[in-house]
Formats: sequence, C-alpha cells, structure tokens
Amino acid sequence: MTALHLHDTPEMLHPARTATRILVIEDDASVSAAIRAILARHQCDTVLASRAHAGIHAFQAFGFDVVMVDLFMPGMNGLDTIARIRSESAVPIIAMSGFRLRNSLDAGEDFLGMAILRGATISLRKPFSPPQLIAAIDRSRMAPSTRVSRQ
Amino acid sequence: MTQNGNRADQPQSMASNRQKMEDPEIGQPSPERTRAANEVGSAIAHQLNGPLTALRLYVGEIRQNIGRFRESAEGQDSMQQMVEGAFQETERICAMMRLIADTFEGPLYPENAAALGRDVITWWSRSAAANGRDTEQTVSFHAPLTPREREALGHISQGCSNKQGAIRMQIGPRTFESHRARIMRKFGAKNGADLVRIALGETSVTP
Repeated sequence: MTALHLHDTPEMLHPARTATRILVIEDDASVSAAIRAILARHQCDTVLASRAHAGIHAFQAFGFDVVMVDLFMPGMNGLDTIARIRSESAVPIIAMSGFRLRNSLDAGEDFLGMAILRGATISLRKPFSPPQLIAAIDRSRMAPSTRVSRQ
Repeated sequence: MTQNGNRADQPQSMASNRQKMEDPEIGQPSPERTRAANEVGSAIAHQLNGPLTALRLYVGEIRQNIGRFRESAEGQDSMQQMVEGAFQETERICAMMRLIADTFEGPLYPENAAALGRDVITWWSRSAAANGRDTEQTVSFHAPLTPREREALGHISQGCSNKQGAIRMQIGPRTFESHRARIMRKFGAKNGADLVRIALGETSVTP
C-alpha cells in the first residue's frame, strides 16, 4: 500500500477556504478510512499516511491545521513522530492509542501521558465515537498555541 | 520487582513446590503467567482496537444521522458507505475472533476443558480488577468486595503493611494501596484503625 493516498484527495490541491485540513498518521487502514468518512461530513479535508516518515514528509510539504498520530506504528513510533513534528511546528497534535499500558510501579505514567510530554496537544483513547473525534479536533484547535520544542 | 527476595513472609508450603504457572488451590497467578497474560492481552487488545474504532465511528455516525440521510442523494451515498464500512469491520472482527479461537491450545483432557476455561476466565477478570481496570468511579458504601479486594482485606486484617500485602498478593504496592483505598471507600472507613476494625468483623463473617 502506498503510504500517502494523495489520489484519494483531489480537494487537497484546491482546498476550500473553510475546510479544516487534517493529517492522519495511522498504520491501520480501516481506522484512517473511518476517520476520513466521518470527517468528510464535517467540512474537513483529510490526508492519510500509513507510516511516520510519509506523514512527516506530507506535513512538511503541505502543512495542516491538525495532525492525528497513532502511537503504535511499525517503523518510527508515534511518540518519536510527535516529538519530531513538535520540534518544527506548533500545530495541534492529537495522540491516538488503544491502550494506556499502565506501569504498575508508577500508575501516573502511561503512553498517552508520555505523548503529552512529547508535545501532543491532547490524547484520544481508542475506540472513540464520532462526537469524541469532532470534540478532540475542536479542543486541539482551541488549545493555547503550543510552543515549538527545542531539541 | 518487589516480590523477589521477600518470600520468607509466606509459609514455606505455599512458596515452594509451586507449579511454574499457577497453584490451582490458591489461584494465585505467578509472575510468569502474569507476564504472559499481559503480553497476549496487549497483543489481542491492539489487534481488536483498529476495527472496533472504525466500527464505532461508522455506527455512531449512522445512529446520529439516520433521519437525515434520506434528504439528499449525497446523504444516501454516505449512508451506504457507512453501512458497508461497518459491515466490513464486523467481518474483520469475526475473522480475528476465529483466529484467536484457533490459535490457543486447549487443555489436555477434554472432560476438564469447560471447567478449566471457566477458571481462566475467572482468573482473568479477577486480575483485570486487581490491575485497576474497572472504571468504577463512585462506589456506594457497602458495595460488595471483589475477590481480590477480599483477599487484600484478609492481609490487612492480619496487620500487613502495603508492602507486605503487595508481596503476598504478588502485585505492586500501589495496586495494593488502591485495593485498600477502594475497600475503605466501600466501607466508609475513616482511617486505618477503623478499616482494621471493620475488616476483622468482615472476615469473620465471610471467610
């Protein structure tokens, strides 16, 4: 499968002014397809990347209003992806993960918490509902602008 | 971790001669079994989460907009796409469940299979509760204790500290502490002494 489904999103080349542009970096094609189907009904243009590197390239090339990142991807994982994007941009980032993988020695620490430390704006636990998805995007955009982290 | 080196706490008959995976009398998961269960559980959870996320999105959208889909041709196309997506994801989950069912080897003796299966399910739900995965936020007074909480209560009533109790139950001290906190909430105990008083009454009534 190609990493970047540009052919699926002709709108991307001539985006409507009002549409929110969202990059989804997620290795599970059925999840990203469902996210796109829902967002298409809410005036959002969605670009899908199934690997971190493709996603980062797309982000650098086109720029987006919001980036959604899955934490457990083959290749570069989501935490490193978030840190990488945050090192060069203040874009709202939503970290997605199915399970928290709590550490029994430190109950306060989990992967979604670590994602926030790496620079994610908010976290979204899978499986999420359409209202949760829309609310996450709205909240991430209203969050006070995140500072670009110095590496 | 914490359970190493402190087994002198336990009676020798319990600590030694134990099978690698579990002592069926006590139903206490060994660290090996807990680790294996965590790994398998995480892998299965990860696998199922993708299609479940997609399914939840499709079904949620259909439910919310069922009345409005008929208003336009676009709406109908969109509805058809959502229903098709939901169907595909359901099929994918079913295929995963078949794979899971075919992957794990059953017990050696068929006559024990149902009982052993039930035992594993009970153990799993108990250890899930012990790991604090029950999302119960508010607990009313005198709500029934879970088996693990009851076990923790037994240790507390014997005067165990959080650390000692954690070692006996082969769990982290924080987990034990959260058992203690939940028990206190359930019984409305004001402090440790109050809890021990209630614990002594409780364990004598229901051993």
